[in-house]
Amino acid sequence: MSKKGVKTRRKMKYSTSRKLNGLIFMLPWIIGFITFFAVPIKNTILYSFNKVEVGAAGGIELTFNGIQNYIDLFVSEVSTTSQPIQRIFATENISIFTNLSLIVIFSLFLAILANAKFPGRGMVRVIFFLPIVLGLPLIVEWTANSTGRMMIESASGGMFGAENSVELLLEYTFLPKKIIEFLAVVLSNIFQLFTRTGVQTMIFLAGLQSISPSHYEVAKIEGANRYETFWKVTLPLLSNVLLFAVIYTMIDLFLNSSIAEEVYNFAFAKSKIGVGSALSVVYMINVLVVLVIVLIFLKAVKVIDKK
Amino acid sequence: MIKNKEGKTTKIAVKRGFSLKGIKGGKIISGLFFASLIIGICFAILYPILTLLPMVFTDLRELGAPDSIWIPGKFGMNSIEFVFRSVLRGDPGILLKSIGYALSICAIQVFMSAMAGYALARTNFWGKNLIFFLVIFVFLVPRQSFLITQYLHFKHFDILGLFKLFTGGDVDLINQPATLYLLAIFGFSVNQSLFVFIFRQFFLGLPQEIEEASLIDGAGFYKTYFRIMLPNALPTILTVAVLSFVWAYGDTYYTNYFHTDGPYFGVIIDKTFKDANNWYINNQARQWFDTADTNELAFEALKQASIVTFLTPLLLIYFMVQRKIVENLDRAGIVG
Repeated sequence: MSKKGVKTRRKMKYSTSRKLNGLIFMLPWIIGFITFFAVPIKNTILYSFNKVEVGAAGGIELTFNGIQNYIDLFVSEVSTTSQPIQRIFATENISIFTNLSLIVIFSLFLAILANAKFPGRGMVRVIFFLPIVLGLPLIVEWTANSTGRMMIESASGGMFGAENSVELLLEYTFLPKKIIEFLAVVLSNIFQLFTRTGVQTMIFLAGLQSISPSHYEVAKIEGANRYETFWKVTLPLLSNVLLFAVIYTMIDLFLNSSIAEEVYNFAFAKSKIGVGSALSVVYMINVLVVLVIVLIFLKAVKVIDKK
Repeated sequence: MIKNKEGKTTKIAVKRGFSLKGIKGGKIISGLFFASLIIGICFAILYPILTLLPMVFTDLRELGAPDSIWIPGKFGMNSIEFVFRSVLRGDPGILLKSIGYALSICAIQVFMSAMAGYALARTNFWGKNLIFFLVIFVFLVPRQSFLITQYLHFKHFDILGLFKLFTGGDVDLINQPATLYLLAIFGFSVNQSLFVFIFRQFFLGLPQEIEEASLIDGAGFYKTYFRIMLPNALPTILTVAVLSFVWAYGDTYYTNYFHTDGPYFGVIIDKTFKDANNWYINNQARQWFDTADTNELAFEALKQASIVTFLTPLLLIYFMVQRKIVENLDRAGIVG
């Protein structure tokens, strides 16, 4: 009896000490969350409802002015490219939706290719993961409009331009014009799309490798062909990875969108901190709304299992 | 490792000799198709870099010669030389310093996020689910949306009025290297919540028996973590380390806003090659390398040379570690 009592007490003590140690491990992150995230977010929301001025002593003076900042943002302010802010949001959101699906499908395709067995696979994998490096924002920015590229492209007769591919496809395929136009846009953006696929390809490849071969054996015995195996075995088993890839791509696209530059522009170039904060809040809400829409869509097509 | 427990019911795979390859030469055609697909994609990925090389390795005096596109008319290294002399201000140490910076940020990030991930996966501390939700939330909120207030926060840095109490004023952390390290230590450097998430997924996959066994052998919490858990996490550590290094080295967001004058190659290139500096750069190139007066292409060539210089150490490190990552990818636990 007494022995049992001692045992449970010791066990309880062990579990509390584990909890405590876990909290200690988590503590730096929690401190960081409060000082580097929660306080700035709180201030952003606060500033967005105030007129922000730099006081005489160098401090910040706030005067409450309701939703004036938001009205200013959408009515009187313009972006760096002299467009209304609404238009920036609209174009960015549309391009994010189309690019999101393209990038995810592309990277899944790349991962499936990289998972196949063929000579020189190691080298190909190295190149397939290279967008992790080449997708760094500054490298994308610097390489996109380089003169060398322009020279090469003009010398090759604009091989990868949209007009050229439209002509090529119209002449050699019998696809409807609408589809060809869409394909042409994708083709002309193909280098931009590839620079965004690195991490996702890696995640998908990891996911593919973790599927146990016995699943495929069973599918083979049951008489499923490759197409059925992909839709019935591979894709359902990748659903977690797919969700992760979609969310990662979405955030990545938003981080590199031109809305982000506008925030910087309002705060530092125009020094309108209040309006900039309002833009930040709208931006934040925009990301979360898009995320919810994407999740609902994924649930509707049953990519996510119901929990 | 022991994550998948299929194999409990051993099924005997009946191997039937399916021979659907009826068409002669079908294999060769599909092989050719596959090869051209692979080569095409590789080309598309490498294309942005390939287009830089011809111009960078052309002699500055020969730039713009209309008959050379892919192969330089006259091979020359003087644009690279210019990068070291002008952009790096004759101090290759800047290159080493930015690599050193990236390495130290990478080490801090791996260490701190492994700890946080372990706590989230293997311990049951109070409010764990809330904290995990917050980790995801932090990843979802774009960092630019609180740039302004974060900047102001660092400008007048103070934790709960403590600094004011002791030193009589707040601390200006803008343009201090400490800010970047503080961000990394407390888990808010580039994409750090993603790393916490990856580590959590990995540690969740480890078998529960490890801790029981180590407890029986008399190892405490910390000993178990550092002696057993961390060595097991090596594939994940490697993956996260590469991502973290690449992102820290290529980061111009935190370095530019919080430590503008620091020795970060990316920031320096970004500042040097503004359009406003076009005349200045061209003039310098003209004086040093005796380029033609009208050659406006030098600016572009030098910019591209600096990108190539910037990329070289990154690619070298990437190629060195790459193979190990691919080998261990299925054990890295990113999948969850």
